[in-house]
Amino acid sequence: MTKLNILPLPTFARLGVNCAEREVGAFEREEITVPEGAEQQIIKFVSPCSETIVTVGKNAALKLVMIFADKQRCAARLITTLDDSARLDLIQLYLGGDTVSEIVTELKGCKSAFTAEIGYDLGAGDVLDINLVANHYGRKSTSEIAVNGVLRDNAQKTFKGTIDFRNGSAGAKGSEKEDVILMNEEVVNKTVPVILCDEEDVEGSHGATIGRIDEQHIYYMQSRGIPEEKIYELITRARLLKIIGKIGDEQTEKRIHNTLGWEVQY
Amino acid sequence: MSELLKITGLRVSAEEKEILHGVDLTINEGETHVIMGPNGAGKSTLGAAIMGSPEYTITGGSIIFDGADITGETPDKRARHRIFLSFQNPIEIPGITLSSFLRSAYEQVTGERVKLFEFKKVLGAAMDVLQMDKAYADRELNVGFSGGEKKKAEILQLLVLRPKLAILDETDSGLDVDAVKTVSAGIKAYKEQTGGSLLIITHNTKILEALTVDKTHIIADGRLAAEGGAELIDEVTENGFDKYIPRGAV
Amino acid sequence: MKEKTQVADIDRSLYDFRYDEDESSFLDCGITPEIIREISAEKGDPEWMTEFRLHSLEIYNRLKMPDWGPDISGLNIDNIVAYIRPKKGMQSDWNEVPDDIKETFEKLGIPQAERESLAGVGAQYDSELVYHNVRKEVAESGVVYTDLESAMHDERYAGMIKSHFMKLVPPTDHKFAALHGAVWSGGSFVYVPSGVKLEIPLQSYFRLNAKGAGQFEHTLIIVEDNAYLHFIEGCSAPKYYEASLHAGCVELYVGNNSTLRYSTIENWSKNMYNLNTKRAVVGENGKVEWVSGSFGSHVSYLYPMSILNGRKARAEFTGITFAGEGQNLDTGAKIVHNAPETSSYMNTRSISKSGGISTFRSAVTINENAVGSKSAVSCESLMLDSISRSDTIPSMVVKTDKADVGHEARIGRISDEAVFYLMSRGLDENAAKALIVSGFADNVSKELPLEYAVEMNNLINLEMKGSIG
Repeated sequence: MTKLNILPLPTFARLGVNCAEREVGAFEREEITVPEGAEQQIIKFVSPCSETIVTVGKNAALKLVMIFADKQRCAARLITTLDDSARLDLIQLYLGGDTVSEIVTELKGCKSAFTAEIGYDLGAGDVLDINLVANHYGRKSTSEIAVNGVLRDNAQKTFKGTIDFRNGSAGAKGSEKEDVILMNEEVVNKTVPVILCDEEDVEGSHGATIGRIDEQHIYYMQSRGIPEEKIYELITRARLLKIIGKIGDEQTEKRIHNTLGWEVQY
Repeated sequence: MSELLKITGLRVSAEEKEILHGVDLTINEGETHVIMGPNGAGKSTLGAAIMGSPEYTITGGSIIFDGADITGETPDKRARHRIFLSFQNPIEIPGITLSSFLRSAYEQVTGERVKLFEFKKVLGAAMDVLQMDKAYADRELNVGFSGGEKKKAEILQLLVLRPKLAILDETDSGLDVDAVKTVSAGIKAYKEQTGGSLLIITHNTKILEALTVDKTHIIADGRLAAEGGAELIDEVTENGFDKYIPRGAV
Repeated sequence: MKEKTQVADIDRSLYDFRYDEDESSFLDCGITPEIIREISAEKGDPEWMTEFRLHSLEIYNRLKMPDWGPDISGLNIDNIVAYIRPKKGMQSDWNEVPDDIKETFEKLGIPQAERESLAGVGAQYDSELVYHNVRKEVAESGVVYTDLESAMHDERYAGMIKSHFMKLVPPTDHKFAALHGAVWSGGSFVYVPSGVKLEIPLQSYFRLNAKGAGQFEHTLIIVEDNAYLHFIEGCSAPKYYEASLHAGCVELYVGNNSTLRYSTIENWSKNMYNLNTKRAVVGENGKVEWVSGSFGSHVSYLYPMSILNGRKARAEFTGITFAGEGQNLDTGAKIVHNAPETSSYMNTRSISKSGGISTFRSAVTINENAVGSKSAVSCESLMLDSISRSDTIPSMVVKTDKADVGHEARIGRISDEAVFYLMSRGLDENAAKALIVSGFADNVSKELPLEYAVEMNNLINLEMKGSIG
């Protein structure tokens, strides 16, 4: 067993969130370098045991879409280093399986920027453990992490998100937000939003909402004639669609719709 | 004229405190009723109870709508009986566009599937009545809307969903003069297009100017204190509610 | 209106005096079964308690130090004198308390405070309760407020203590709970019978005096059904240069439809290792309210835990932590939702200054059976300079879909505009910042009785002094 997804600052051991233990083989390694000033977009259907090392040069930008669609055991790691004014816009979708995924972004450069839009829709037997770490070194570096998901049947999910303001990252800003809708009494959801701060002049925030859809939302939508089951379907689908819509590639979007078994509505 | 809504002896509580102490109200098809009363009298509670808000518990009496007893029904079933409530503070629902939400609601209350471009026509026509920018259709429902925009979006839903009874809860509050005009035009259009009934909860008489009011009800301290025709509005506007407030109640 | 003058001119040095210990009253350093037997014999423990202590020591020797949280390698437990004998037995008349001990309390203003408004004071000087008094009318209502040792020997309460003592916090919970089980000494026992609603708070003041001394007081509070109690625990200790340990334990049993409010303003001296364990179990429709201010100690591990076992049980936690120079304060709360329709609310603030480290750590668990439960957590952190550190590690574990869990946290600094605004109205920079920090702490000060709120604001002002420039 290998310890993966280690929480940067461990917490109460009994919660079982300090790491994920899995049998893993050797990581298949891929390197992506975006040279100074360039802009790239990459869409990846992630293979089961993979490590992606990304370097984004000065004033360069990478939009990286990663889709975890294999209904099998998967361990993945994405490590990105951002130079001055470099940016990474990450979109990740988790559609099932037993997945351990680590995302480490080193915001080394001044004004480097990291955004992450992560979505998941998990059902029977699915297990997901995400450990996202944004390390802010650069002055005025920014990170913005938005996670939206749905847990059905007996799905189990752990999301650990750490924003780490290192000393010297003056003017940095970081935010993270996770919204989870729980659809079945057998689901297990663990959310651990961490902010570490070793610098005065920073702004950090995190938020999370976990549970059913707000009663007032349901009442409002019901009062317009939509039954409760339909409301859940609408809202859960809307959350993922919002992320899928940002991929900007019709082929990929279709493939995701198929995986989710959604009829495309026009 | 046949009875559309018949409320008998309605008692309503919130958090174990009774707010309405036995209210009777009948609205016939095509009629316009106005409910007035001091703050905290239970006006909004009545509207919410007719719609089936989970915040309130009906502890006695009955609500019959269009011949069916809806006293214990969920809000969506009431909506499918074609009741509509315009909310005082419409909820913001992120992630769902006004258009996709309304299309879904439209299909539910009419029981028919509607093609996207056909729906766009219905929606567009309604937006024209309210002089709304078409871009609102693709914005997330009520998210970031100003107070006036939210109220307009409520009336837009009213025009699209074409209910048999529309309950408007303080739809005019917090609106500037122009917005009141637009909203009034929307309500008038609803009336003309559908011949539906209206139950208007209000403080303000401006919104009523374009309408013919059939009946006015005064609610005070959870009870119907007076009933009359349109003339009662003028009387209350002039003299206030003091004489309807039972002695001892504040 | 009450007079509050005695706390208005509080001074740091007030907490930094100490009287010489009589060396002969120390037991050997370190902890062995022999020491445990000696403590037990001296206290005249019943047999089950002696066994309990020895069993706890075995567990202590078996358990590992925590592998998370602040560094406690500076703590040498073998050097902590586990137990210091009191110079005299318990007093019920203030005049019979030894002079040097009395003087300490006089400086802290305790008897005055008691005369004014307190229902009762149990003041712990080192290991034994030296002064104890409960107002007559409180006693007449059937409320019991005494030290735990006396209660254990009183046949009316002995059974109750045996069936509740360290049942909520078993010695197996963690290493320092085991240590506590082995060497505990002193503390309070409160029993509130069914239907009794105590309107005035009960208060206790703990204080460590002897050099290198550990304090292991045990607080056991049982509130029966339909009752109310507010218990205030204050802690301050003089300053020392050898590491001291506090490993107390608080167990609160809250009955059906009852409310227990437990307030603490803790101001241990800056060399203390504060490894305290607090836990409450709440029955149907009952409520526990924690109000917690952490200002002192060198290292703290403090996470009061609420176990909501009855339907509609509630927990509220309101806390503030102020970590200054040389301090590493790891604080927060744990809440376990174990029954349907339970709810919890947590609202905390932390402040880091002059190299201090504050960590907010929480765990909210909604178990499978806690259908229809709600939890909301809100924490805010303030960094006063860039040599300090502030970490926030909340966690939420949800095992049912019919739950509503919300969390929000923010970290930031004092806004320059706010300081500028106050300075433009004539305040100096220090005063402006102190004022802003006091305002930041209002979540807790609002919840405290006025005299404690004033004392807390004074503590904040003291901490803020000299911090700039």
